Amino acid sequence: MNINFKLNGKETTFNLTKNKRLIDLLREDLNLTGTKEGCSIGECGACTVIINGKAVNSCLVLAQQVDECEVITVEGLAEGDKLTELQKNFLKYGAIQCGFCTPGMLMSAYALFLENPTPSEEEVKTAIEGNLCRCTGYKPIIQAITAISKQ
Amino acid sequence: MMIPQFKYYRPKSLNELKNILGELQDSSRILAGGTDIVPGFIQESQRFTAISNLIDINHISDLKVIKIIDGYISIGSAVTFSEITKNELIKKSFPLLVKAAQTLGSLQIRNKATIVGNFVNNAPCADSVPPLLVYDASIKITSPENERIISLNEFLLTPYETQLNKNECVTEIRIPILKNNFIGDFYKLGRRSAVSISRITLAFLLLEEDKIIKEFRIASGAITPIGKRFYELESSSICKEVNSETFMEIASKLGEQILKTTGLRWSTSYKLPVVQQMLYQLLEKNIGTRSE
Repeated sequence: MNINFKLNGKETTFNLTKNKRLIDLLREDLNLTGTKEGCSIGECGACTVIINGKAVNSCLVLAQQVDECEVITVEGLAEGDKLTELQKNFLKYGAIQCGFCTPGMLMSAYALFLENPTPSEEEVKTAIEGNLCRCTGYKPIIQAITAISKQ
Repeated sequence: MMIPQFKYYRPKSLNELKNILGELQDSSRILAGGTDIVPGFIQESQRFTAISNLIDINHISDLKVIKIIDGYISIGSAVTFSEITKNELIKKSFPLLVKAAQTLGSLQIRNKATIVGNFVNNAPCADSVPPLLVYDASIKITSPENERIISLNEFLLTPYETQLNKNECVTEIRIPILKNNFIGDFYKLGRRSAVSISRITLAFLLLEEDKIIKEFRIASGAITPIGKRFYELESSSICKEVNSETFMEIASKLGEQILKTTGLRWSTSYKLPVVQQMLYQLLEKNIGTRSE
């Protein structure tokens, strides 16, 4: 089956010869390894990507399902070397420790801003409730995201 | 950790779905949200590894609809929990369902998972089942030959087992809009608030008139093998006066009924007093203080 989808703004066609999950298509076939695999069962959010404007776990989606969809991964945020304000804020507030949850956190936050440009701190917390930070550095993550809302 | 090599189908209409269901003789499954099926593959769950055909219903526009028809609200089987939490009709008519939908999984899960998938999977801890049971939801099942409508309560058999046959697909939930002013609540007890498997869930609806209980509906999840209504307890509560004593009696009887259903479990000594206290507090909070 050929799947045609928009990936980080680019029309992409992939000839799928066997069943696989979206996360495997991204990481193994398209070499987009920014999306991380943590728990593989939808509990940790490290593999979060955006499909048609909504944050989803790419470990719970089959590759076939993104046919005719628009997908954004963490690689789609920055333009070349130019980071987005959200990414800059993660650096500024020290919202990164080991970094494994960071791509997922960024994507959940990015999806939130697509829907709501000025979320409250509570809304930020709900948006990232499905993203586990094993280093437990939630406070600077919440600060980094909430600060965008105030800008 | 392998995804089975099933054949993938993506019907664009109900007719196409019926044709596919009619043609397939092998083990086939419906794919809606996929939040149980896809991790089921990864965990090599025997419930999913033998699937040879997967039918993705997300491109059937008729199944993405929430609408009012003759006194009930109809929810299509490709409607996600996120769509439920944002729908004004449902927020107004079925607040218990919205509360359950809001606390289910995480935002990422709610963006994919469907409410129909929640009860077709029929896990004991399915959060949306107790509210759907107290709202007396029924469901529409489509097969190549015909359609049937049955109550959700009948549809659910044992953990992970339902009345769904191989060539059938649940296409719709129908929830009657309440005519009277019921008071109700949903409560979920889990180890944390998000991405948590519920330990105990309760949903209740109560109709009072002049401080007398006219109607009472109660259902539990997670603490019982599957989501369950307690009809005996409901009918024995009717005509009782609305006061703390009655609430205590109902809560205590709920514990007895649950014990009857489950027998003694290792967790009984913890869960039973908790569920009794939960219901007592829910009734006091929603009705007790209100009537004073």
